[in-house]
Amino acid sequence: MNWLALHLPALPLEVYERGLQTPLPLAISQRERLIACNRLAREQGVQPGLAESAGRALLADLRILPSNARAERAALERLAAWAMRFSDQVSLEPPQALVLESARSLRLFGGADALHRQVADGIAGLGYQAHCVLAPTPLGALVLAAAGAEGPVPHIDALRRTLSALPVAALGFERRALDDLARMGLKRIGDLLRLPRDGFAERFGIERIDQLERLLGERADPRQAFTPPERFRAELELPAEVPDAVALVFAGRRLLEELGGFLLARQSGVQRLSWCLSHADAQTDAGSTRFQLGAARPLRDPQRWLELLRERLERLRLPAPVRAIALASETLSPLPPANAELFPNAAAVTAPDPALLDRLRARLGNDAVQGLALVLDQRPERAWRWCSPGDQSDGIVRADRPLWLLPQPAALPLQGHRPWLDGPLDLGDGCERIETGWWDDFEVARDYYVATAVSGERVWIYREMYGNRGWFLHGLFGAAAQPC
Amino acid sequence: MSLEQLLAQRPDLWRGRGRDPSAPNGVSTGFTALDRLLPWHGWPAGSLTEILAVHQGAAMALMLPMLAALSHRSRWLLLVDPPWVPFAPALVANGLDLARLVVVQAGDETAWAMEQALRSGACAAVLGWHCQQERRRNWPAGSLRRLQLAADAGDALAILLREPAAAARPSPAAFRLQVESVGGDLAVTLLKQRGGRPGARIRIGASSHPIPVITRPASRSVSRPAFLEPNRS
Repeated sequence: MNWLALHLPALPLEVYERGLQTPLPLAISQRERLIACNRLAREQGVQPGLAESAGRALLADLRILPSNARAERAALERLAAWAMRFSDQVSLEPPQALVLESARSLRLFGGADALHRQVADGIAGLGYQAHCVLAPTPLGALVLAAAGAEGPVPHIDALRRTLSALPVAALGFERRALDDLARMGLKRIGDLLRLPRDGFAERFGIERIDQLERLLGERADPRQAFTPPERFRAELELPAEVPDAVALVFAGRRLLEELGGFLLARQSGVQRLSWCLSHADAQTDAGSTRFQLGAARPLRDPQRWLELLRERLERLRLPAPVRAIALASETLSPLPPANAELFPNAAAVTAPDPALLDRLRARLGNDAVQGLALVLDQRPERAWRWCSPGDQSDGIVRADRPLWLLPQPAALPLQGHRPWLDGPLDLGDGCERIETGWWDDFEVARDYYVATAVSGERVWIYREMYGNRGWFLHGLFGAAAQPC
Repeated sequence: MSLEQLLAQRPDLWRGRGRDPSAPNGVSTGFTALDRLLPWHGWPAGSLTEILAVHQGAAMALMLPMLAALSHRSRWLLLVDPPWVPFAPALVANGLDLARLVVVQAGDETAWAMEQALRSGACAAVLGWHCQQERRRNWPAGSLRRLQLAADAGDALAILLREPAAAARPSPAAFRLQVESVGGDLAVTLLKQRGGRPGARIRIGASSHPIPVITRPASRSVSRPAFLEPNRS
């Protein structure tokens, strides 16, 4: 059980179908012939092997799409990257299979059955149908998976028994060899295995013997390991055009789940994702809508990204229906694996979770979410600044300052030479002079007073020292209350 | 065995002015006299509070000790659409750690932003204003209920700052109070507290320290919010 093979029988269909939330009858054609069709189409009598025209005659609203070898290969590579969470050695077996070296994974994942279940559940969650077989040889696992078998095959004798029952066609020989075997009355793989090897080699070629020996583990079968790319890049063609941005969340989730597997395998997170929505109507200026999602720190969890995507899509106006959706990551940032604390300390003060702020920014805009920091300056307007939440800097701390500052000082009217705010203001005793800032473009020369309004409210007002010596309201105090 | 344990064994025992021990613990207001009047011994955590602010400065002064205390924990403090700039030098002087403070300009989406923040569980307190824009003066009861539910889900303080006229409109808030500055003090009127008695007025501030003036209403008419007045036209 050192090898785990995944065979994806419906891959040509799935590269289209995974982007679709509500199923519609779908078939894939190659050179005018249908090579695959989904359940809805099958229920109406459409079958692989039919001509395109026959399929249309059976089912008027059957959607026929050309098979897309490039998309299938890309999907296989993304699955390989995803599968690296289960094994460090994953090999591509195009057109529609993967094989994983699983000897070292068995203990980590709790045995063959548990590993099989996790792989099968994971791949179903990504929206792929797959046959998953664990077997002692890679080729044996692949042949069994392609034949539709499922589950672990514990040892080489069981593998030989299971294989023997399969028709010879499962070995993937070419047409002529299969015809020869049929004429010789050899129907099952078991029949082949019973033949004397020398004669078999003479008749069918040394490669065939080689294949049989690799099948049963009598000959070494090294596989070339897949190397995942530096960045994640995925595209999903939508089988039907999507006019509504919110309906793209479903397709987006599929891409993000693959991204999650990719990031987990690379022990990395990503801080910025670029999305590209290609429009059906090529006449639109750009032909596509592009946007980026950002996070405050590298994220791996696809759920977080999905929340951000949803916020963004809810606000998005599409100029035309969408035909395909693509996702590309920026450079990855390594993340340490999530380890549980040995001694969890609930009381420890940790930095708060920035995910909420990302979500607010995605909807309200980047500038709508800000923190406050101090600045070393006596001028009230310059004694603070907006910053990114959590940033800190030193500045002047004063308890005799108001709790609220008006962003723009408001001119106060005068009545009988006294400033007026819904009544005469009591200026109290003493004032504070702030005269500074001659070195830059914001010179301040003011006398500040803590005044009390008729209503009992205390306000911070100033009088300009020069010019027309006007009065301005600049801040609001709380009460003089001290917590007790 | 403590007295409380003995009393707890007697389900047939009715305790008049005792507090429900199952009532959620609050976040201290920082004013002992005020805490004593409240069934939660402070601001009700996981609930919606409405502050009807006659003066915004007084409202901020009332919340500041709570904000300062929460700013030393590990969750955000969100101010959604504050009417002016919270002045950093004074906030820090009152013990607030600016690292936890986030100011959000939500525009038309105040209710959405508050609900998201409350529900996320990443915020200790979410304060929302709506004083400047005329058209958002009326919070629909549905929005208020959603805020209440979100506060519960995220175990956060939800505080809505409204103008005094809002007292005439019913609200699902657990706690409603009015605050103003009077002669350098804070004057707080408790309009509604779920599980507690409304109507108390308290003056807290430098001049009344250390003994706060608590006036129980003499007649019911003082204690009742205006909208309950039968003779109101």
